[in-house]
Amino acid sequence: MSVLLEGSTTSATMRRNFWRGVWRVMRRKPSRLAGAVILLGFAVMAVFGPMFYPEHLPRDLAAGVYAQPSAEHWFGTDGQGRDVVALVVTGSRYVLLSALVTAVVTVVLGAAIGLFAGFRRGRWDTALMRLTDMKLTIPGLPLLLVLSTIWKFGSAVEMGLLLGLLGWGAVARAVRAQTLSLRERGFIEAARGLGLSTTHIVGKELLPSMAPYVAMNMLIAVTGAVYAQVGLFFLGVLPYEADNWGVMLNLAVFGGGAMTTTAALPYMLAPLLAILLLTLGIVLVVDAMDEIFNPRLREE
Amino acid sequence: MTIIARRLAGHAARGIVMVFAVATISFFIIRNIPGDPMAARYQKLLEQGMSPEAAERATTVMYGFMPKGTLWEQYTDYIAGLFTFDLGVSVTNPGTPVTEVLGEAAKWTVLPVLAGTLLSFLLGVVMGVYAAVKRTGKLGDLLAISGSLLHGVPQYVLALLMMAIFTTILAVLPAGGTADILFEPGFNAGYIGSLIEHATLPVLTYALASYGGWTLAMKSSVVTVLGDDFILAAELRGLKRSIVFRYVARNAILPLFTILALSLGMLFGGAIFIEKIFNYPGLGFLLLESVTNRDYALMGGAFLLITLAIVVANILADLFYTVIDPRVRSGGEVS
Amino acid sequence: MKRLAAVVALLGLATGTACSGGSTDPSGSGGGGLFTTIDVTRPGIDANAPANPFNPKGNVFRGYNEIRLAYSKNHLTDPNVFYPGAATSWEIAPDNSSITVKLPPNGKWSDGKPLTAEDVKLSIGIAYTQGSTAFAITPGAAGAAAEVTVVDPTTIKVTQDMSNPSAKFARGVMDTIVVPAHVWGGVLPADFWDKLKASRGTGPVADKAREEITGLGQKIIAFRPEKDVSGGPFTLARVNPGEALLVRNKNFYNASKIAPAQVKFLNYTGNEQIWNYLIAGKLDHSGFTAVPTDVMNRIKQAPGAQVVRGFSPVSVGMAFNQSKKPYDNVHVRRGLAYLIDREQVTKTASPEGGTPAATTSGIHQRPAAEWLGDEAGTLEPYKFDKAKAEAEFKAAGLRQKDGRWALPDGSPWKVSMTAPAGFSDWISAQENIKSQLIENGVDAEVVTVADYPLYLEEIAAGKYDVGFWLLALGPAPYDIYQRLYGASNGWTNVAGKIRHSPAGKDGNWMGSAETIDVEGIGKINPGELTGKLNNVGAEEAKPIMVKLAKAANQDLPAIQLWDYVNAQFVNTGRFTGWPGEDSDLLRWPAGVWMQQGLLKAKR
Repeated sequence: MSVLLEGSTTSATMRRNFWRGVWRVMRRKPSRLAGAVILLGFAVMAVFGPMFYPEHLPRDLAAGVYAQPSAEHWFGTDGQGRDVVALVVTGSRYVLLSALVTAVVTVVLGAAIGLFAGFRRGRWDTALMRLTDMKLTIPGLPLLLVLSTIWKFGSAVEMGLLLGLLGWGAVARAVRAQTLSLRERGFIEAARGLGLSTTHIVGKELLPSMAPYVAMNMLIAVTGAVYAQVGLFFLGVLPYEADNWGVMLNLAVFGGGAMTTTAALPYMLAPLLAILLLTLGIVLVVDAMDEIFNPRLREE
Repeated sequence: MTIIARRLAGHAARGIVMVFAVATISFFIIRNIPGDPMAARYQKLLEQGMSPEAAERATTVMYGFMPKGTLWEQYTDYIAGLFTFDLGVSVTNPGTPVTEVLGEAAKWTVLPVLAGTLLSFLLGVVMGVYAAVKRTGKLGDLLAISGSLLHGVPQYVLALLMMAIFTTILAVLPAGGTADILFEPGFNAGYIGSLIEHATLPVLTYALASYGGWTLAMKSSVVTVLGDDFILAAELRGLKRSIVFRYVARNAILPLFTILALSLGMLFGGAIFIEKIFNYPGLGFLLLESVTNRDYALMGGAFLLITLAIVVANILADLFYTVIDPRVRSGGEVS
Repeated sequence: MKRLAAVVALLGLATGTACSGGSTDPSGSGGGGLFTTIDVTRPGIDANAPANPFNPKGNVFRGYNEIRLAYSKNHLTDPNVFYPGAATSWEIAPDNSSITVKLPPNGKWSDGKPLTAEDVKLSIGIAYTQGSTAFAITPGAAGAAAEVTVVDPTTIKVTQDMSNPSAKFARGVMDTIVVPAHVWGGVLPADFWDKLKASRGTGPVADKAREEITGLGQKIIAFRPEKDVSGGPFTLARVNPGEALLVRNKNFYNASKIAPAQVKFLNYTGNEQIWNYLIAGKLDHSGFTAVPTDVMNRIKQAPGAQVVRGFSPVSVGMAFNQSKKPYDNVHVRRGLAYLIDREQVTKTASPEGGTPAATTSGIHQRPAAEWLGDEAGTLEPYKFDKAKAEAEFKAAGLRQKDGRWALPDGSPWKVSMTAPAGFSDWISAQENIKSQLIENGVDAEVVTVADYPLYLEEIAAGKYDVGFWLLALGPAPYDIYQRLYGASNGWTNVAGKIRHSPAGKDGNWMGSAETIDVEGIGKINPGELTGKLNNVGAEEAKPIMVKLAKAANQDLPAIQLWDYVNAQFVNTGRFTGWPGEDSDLLRWPAGVWMQQGLLKAKR
């Protein structure tokens, strides 16, 4: 939610405040540490996990299809007799890579446009904000549905790129508002008065003070991206990839009868739990960041 | 009030431009969609036992409903049609105006989602105040985190879980449809009961999926207000806690009404997953079906209606904001 | 705190009313009770759609509030045996040159008006606008009608144009949907039959007449009768977006035998909804839908649940695009046929709805016995055999490299199979084939495309190497083989003349050779042989079918994987007297079973 930045701080004091904030939050709410651990775990899983499995996941013919959870298969097997955990791990790469691309595109575009509009003001500001308004007006998921018919989303990067291109509006608007508010406080004029260049003002003064806000938005963008792409695959409007969380959900519900019998239930629950866990991790970290950077939430 | 009128005119003008732009963009996207709806129909007829020649003829008849002419001619026809609310002919519903198909579907989206939104709003506001007041306590923390989690978890995750619990494991609620057809539609207990019964799962899921957002918004708003000087002043003056609390709540809830107006606009397109999973015949469901059937007219129409709702809601939200926030009002007068 | 309590109370109230709504159990009125079913051929019930049987969303349900002249018995080889519909007796000339149809004297529409030969004549006129085998305006179409004559108020005679006759002529006539002339009379112009005559010729006048008739077709599809006037056993009462209610038509000539007083159609959009309804024991009848094994077990546990199996003349095959290497080489196709264990594929993909194909013949294994006789045994069964596959691959010049088969020039080979998303049985079959192939040293992948329309467009454009394709769509012999040796393989049938287009042209994506040298038979042109099937009787067709089966078996334009089984779900809890296993009625909806006097309400 709204993070209001208090006054201007130089980067040195900021850094000190930051670590003090981290320390305070971690001491007061150790559960927040869990969030960071979860996110780290997912990152490791997406980067290194698939390396532990062969290119084509083997079938366990002895266990059979939709096998129930066992020591060997924690979440049973899928409709082909493949290990569900292995599918979740190998599938995490697509999901997280595209989420990362989305987050980067969202934040870079959003921050750049927001900064530019807020800094320049005037005609540029009006034009860019009209564009942003328009983007925010076009409903995201319905647009994705329509786009899914012409775009095949073969790679995770493509998918992430598209989601990012559709999603920068909110960040841009918020960053612009922040820039304007900093500007109103005479922040920029003061820097100008000191003879600092525009690059310096933007790069050294404006951006750092907005960094935590931008980072939080990045994490929120990650949840949004995971939500959207897994959902599209779940709806079955996209060509499927054998090991993708959304495809797993789709196959479990519409092919395996996970809503009907318990046989395919573990197959459905595994990606659901992965999504839940990832969301929980992000929520905890965002909450911690909120506490660190939003002084009004501090209880001192 | 002239300020408001002027603002309204500006908004309306921009809204029209916006709708026009969306109509144009969606037209060109949709006409570039690959896939042959008629070939699919042909194969379906074959599978149903029709002979190849008969199926081919039957398909040719349906081709008559596809738009004709060059892309540009189709476009001008489409835009001209918009002025008379003529959205073209739907290939899957030939003979029924697209507006009528959309209207029927909209009915089934608006009521449940509206109910769900209001329910989640009430729930979220109460929880948000509580989470803000008790933000240092364990319970407040739990409320905030669970709110964020529910807010962050995709709707379909909740919908699937609700579906599994209430229709598969417990089998107490229907898994789809709007009402039992055995009841005569009208104002009678049986029909209304059946309507509620069928809408329960979509409404509850919607409420559950979105109350987290309200909780967070309310919490943050209350925290902001708590820090305001006038509250401090009130506390210093030794006003009763309950009165202070009323100040806080009243000031904190105002910004939320604006978000509420916006989310009511989103409601038209906001329930695709819920409608798909609960087999509820609303607008999102219609859009999804039209995409898989390559029904261009219906797809464009549904998309346009969803956008239109958001544009209108944006205007209303802004007007509302103008009315309730004197700072904006006076700001308008100065400039 | 008070407010929180209020909200909680409100929430409780909401769920409370919801639950009480759930407990109200509406009981059906009238004798015989309520029959609940799903039309699996048509997902989605549209409350706005007209009661028009020609409209794709129309609220007219086959066999229930729609009536046809008669219903084909789906005999394995004879297309011209029927169950009565609007017509109760008929005479077919031995040479198929004409059919005389008799209506029952007491036939009435649901509004009490008599059902006469004039209604049938109008319905035939409508059939011309909608595309029908017997009533076609395409010049020279096989098995087209020449004259339609109303003999007396209950008799109508239709003659066949014998310049290009078809054995299926009578079937085409009987398939006509009959609608009441006093409701539908206005949809055809007064000079319709003159226009029809004009359309039979050639030249601009005929072209214009044909165009006008096609234009009428659209008008008819969009037509909205004010209310449903039905000739079938039921009439539409009301519809909402999820359900439709039909009530018994007291004026139906066989009304005394119709057991249910009301029929409720439920909406469905995905198979999983049907599974849930079946497990809850809610449905009295549902047509075939793909069901995973575990779900099937649960369904069978529901009280009264029963599965009736019958013949379904559909098979699915893995078809090759022979313009792509190495699938142009017959040894590669044969090698793959040896390498795929069809039993395993069927068990994974369609355990209840399919039987593994006995071999590739292009015919479903049930009618194959009738058509081919002893010759069926001479076909190569392509049992799983790794050694034979290896020999075939070697014969094709493929090379083994690091345990993987590669193309003759050493470049890697990957069998890329495509299926439309949403076809869960096809996808799981392809996934299974992929695993089997990889385990046996052939690299493979499964690619899906968004949906069926896109799949059909791209497969026809030759974009895929290998795709799934429906085969053996019988029972008419021509229909069976036009799937393998028809337009998709280059042979188009225009006015009874077969023309061959080269691979990659005019929708020819399979790209088989125009002539095939079949062992023990010699050179044949399979497309022309298929075309001949249109005009011959069952006995004459048999030797042709043998040739084509051998050609398909040897040349393998597609590997037949499994033959579908028509599994119908019924519930004996409320109604008894269902058709038995293998009944030829099973291919028709339950409304037709009722028309024939089956089904009794349980007391």
